[in-house]
Amino acid sequence: MKFKKFMRTYRPFTRAGMLESVAYRANFICFLLGEIMSCFIMFFVWKAVFNSTSGQDFMGFSMNDMVVYLFITFLTGYLTYSDGTYAIATEIRDGSIAMRMIKPCSFDMCFLFQELGNKIFNVLVIFTPIVVGVEAYKWVITGSCQFNVVNFLLYVVSLILAYLISFYFNVSYGFMAFYLKNLWGADILKECIVNFLSGATIPLAFMPPFLASVLSFLPFSSLSYTPVMIYMGMYSPFEIVYKMLFQVFWLAVMILISKLVWRHAVKRLCSQGG
Amino acid sequence: MGRMFRLHRIFVAQYMKNLMEYKVDFLTGAISFLIGQIVQIATIGIIFSQIPDLEGWGFNEILFIYGFSLIPKGIDHLLFDNLWSVGYFIVRKGDFDKYLTRPINSLFYVIAEKFCVDAFGELFMGIVLIVYSLIQLKLTLTWYMIPLFIVAVVFATLIYTALKIGTSAIAFWTKASGHITHMVYMTNDFSKYPTTIYNKVVRTLITYVIPFAFTAYYPASYFLGKGEPLFCIGGTVIAAVVLMFISVCIWNRGIKAYESAGS
Amino acid sequence: MIYVNDLRKEFKKTIKEPGLKGSLKALFKPNNEIITAVDSITFHVPKGEILGFIGPNGAGKSTVIKMLTGILTPTSGTCEINGYIPQKNRQKYVKEIGVVFGQRTQLWWDLALRETYSVLKEIYDVPDAEFKSRMAFLNEVLELDDFISSPVRTLSLGQRMRADIAASLLHNPKVLFLDEPTIGLDVVVKDNIRNAIQKINAEEGTTVILTTHDLADIELLCNRIVMIDKGKKVFDGQISELKREFGQMRDLHFELTHTDDFDKLVYLEDFKVTQDDVEIKNEGASVSVRFNSDKISVEDMLSYTLAKVHVKDINVKDADIEEIIRRLYKREVSIDEV
Repeated sequence: MKFKKFMRTYRPFTRAGMLESVAYRANFICFLLGEIMSCFIMFFVWKAVFNSTSGQDFMGFSMNDMVVYLFITFLTGYLTYSDGTYAIATEIRDGSIAMRMIKPCSFDMCFLFQELGNKIFNVLVIFTPIVVGVEAYKWVITGSCQFNVVNFLLYVVSLILAYLISFYFNVSYGFMAFYLKNLWGADILKECIVNFLSGATIPLAFMPPFLASVLSFLPFSSLSYTPVMIYMGMYSPFEIVYKMLFQVFWLAVMILISKLVWRHAVKRLCSQGG
Repeated sequence: MGRMFRLHRIFVAQYMKNLMEYKVDFLTGAISFLIGQIVQIATIGIIFSQIPDLEGWGFNEILFIYGFSLIPKGIDHLLFDNLWSVGYFIVRKGDFDKYLTRPINSLFYVIAEKFCVDAFGELFMGIVLIVYSLIQLKLTLTWYMIPLFIVAVVFATLIYTALKIGTSAIAFWTKASGHITHMVYMTNDFSKYPTTIYNKVVRTLITYVIPFAFTAYYPASYFLGKGEPLFCIGGTVIAAVVLMFISVCIWNRGIKAYESAGS
Repeated sequence: MIYVNDLRKEFKKTIKEPGLKGSLKALFKPNNEIITAVDSITFHVPKGEILGFIGPNGAGKSTVIKMLTGILTPTSGTCEINGYIPQKNRQKYVKEIGVVFGQRTQLWWDLALRETYSVLKEIYDVPDAEFKSRMAFLNEVLELDDFISSPVRTLSLGQRMRADIAASLLHNPKVLFLDEPTIGLDVVVKDNIRNAIQKINAEEGTTVILTTHDLADIELLCNRIVMIDKGKKVFDGQISELKREFGQMRDLHFELTHTDDFDKLVYLEDFKVTQDDVEIKNEGASVSVRFNSDKISVEDMLSYTLAKVHVKDINVKDADIEEIIRRLYKREVSIDEV
């Protein structure tokens, strides 16, 4: 009963998000093509790297692994991407966040469901082609189907956790971005740092051991590295359980932070009079 | 022409006055772009810690190409950033009206109005990388390389700008084209590495279609003593001139198709 | 001065059906429709005139103004202002005109107002001496002194509008286009702005083209009005002409001595007219009757009323301009009568 009411309240947001993403589909596809370019650049860079090394492997990764890593990381990054930073910082700046306070629903759920609606179209356009493409590539290279259903399903669970962490992280960061004034700059700053710390730019395994072990304890590795490693079957069952519990832990922390930040924002609005 | 420079100076001066009010804004922007570059260079560093060279290119040579790519990119970012706004919202919201009711060239006005200091992050990093890699490589430069360097940088910048002008002008027909500019602009990352690592399709694309290879790899390889000056520098000049001509034509036709917005 | 000949502007519009299904359909098969925003408009404005350009929302007023100012290119037809064709010699032409769009500002948002003027001085190449005297004049007319050092973003709407009008007049233009200059302003500020426009028109002979929804602007400022609706010109002439031609509706007001007498007044049956020509409202003893003086003369109306009932107080009024325009907008008066 409660669930039904919950869905009734938030379904319109999902619908609005979906309509929005379909309306801006051309933008989305162009944007996607622009972003996926960096994948291809890194593909060629890694190919050259593998050509330049003497052995077959580069620090435990084969070229085959590298390709899977690149594209699955791209996919993960795209699906866990959350627009919260920009949206919230803009709303705080122009005062329209007050409109969220007068609506009879929780602000984070509104954002979340709108964004999920937005994602539905994107998932259709990007998820299937990349997964199929990557699996086909592996098939062609190795000569047999390598698709592992269990790993895939675990990946999806881990991906959802990663998205939620990303969502609450972005909500919290959005509030900070407001203080940094330059939203665009703040967003770029976040992207670069998060990409690097999460292992999206370069696998954590390639980094100096000390740095790698520090980064694996920070929340960022939960955003990208954990799901990708699960997809690639790099973790043992024990590691998978451990890493996923780690994701749950960071999700709880991020939710807590975002609540505190929201309370602060409300106070600020009240004292300023919006 | 003289009047344009004077006007541009005035716009910049006004912009700087503005900026003083938003110091945090400026620092965030410049530092963000700087850190963005540092992260990318760290990536290259980690890769090179494991291999002696990348298909015949050493670490310092790659750093030189990378640093070179940041200079035209940064100058374009510094001076011509407002073109992004044209594609993203100026045309869509009908704000382009303003530029058409002034007795100066609309393209010049749009460009001169904004001055994006965020770019200092990129420019700073570019200069550091070039100087560092030149010292490490112990290259001997001859005097005529300096004017050639300036020519290469100026025309490489124009390649960036021309691509932005042409793609943002599409908005005059479609209302918004920022995403098209984005798509084209993102190919610039290809130019940060030697084109020899790419396959033929990509090489052709970034040499002849979206000639970003001329904004970094080709001119840089000439200064590294690995390229023909006629092709590397001459190609940059020709690519820039041709692209600029096409883009300005698109822009001028676009103004006639501009539909404004709202009431 | 201004010659507009057979001006026409068409827009292409993508029709989208509502809902997700509609969006998906538009994805594969976009449905385009040509919309004629301005349909063969012709008019002429002599030098020094203040022309009121009116019409309901979406009539095409702004589209005409945007073509006259060189922002939009007409689909067909021509406009010529001061010997210039706006789209052809755009940069030279815009030096001769000033433009204010009430809904958006041309001022530099984050800069002190004074800075905007010094930038505009350079853009329009105004010599120093002229700039000084011009600023003094504008200061006097628009009273900018109080806020000239404040950043534009801190100005009130009224101050911003004054500042915007001053900005458009800095280079002493021959024609001033004002698109809804009094929108959202209070009564006092509206008055100030109207006075300023009048003063500038009188002292400099500036031709003014004004669009507005505030009919007081029209009555107080304009010598002449051009009304357009759905892209077509529906009226062009003096305000007095408008009143003469469409002002046949009169209002009769009176107080009944005995409230019950109201039932004795059966205008519709006794004059054999429809509700279009006579409209009755009453509130207790007070009655007002709006009637078409073409169908029933004022004399008949008065004598009928006085014969039927006892009244305390009685008067007849002309329909005001607002009423005429309301009727025109609602198409109660057909275009054929023009």
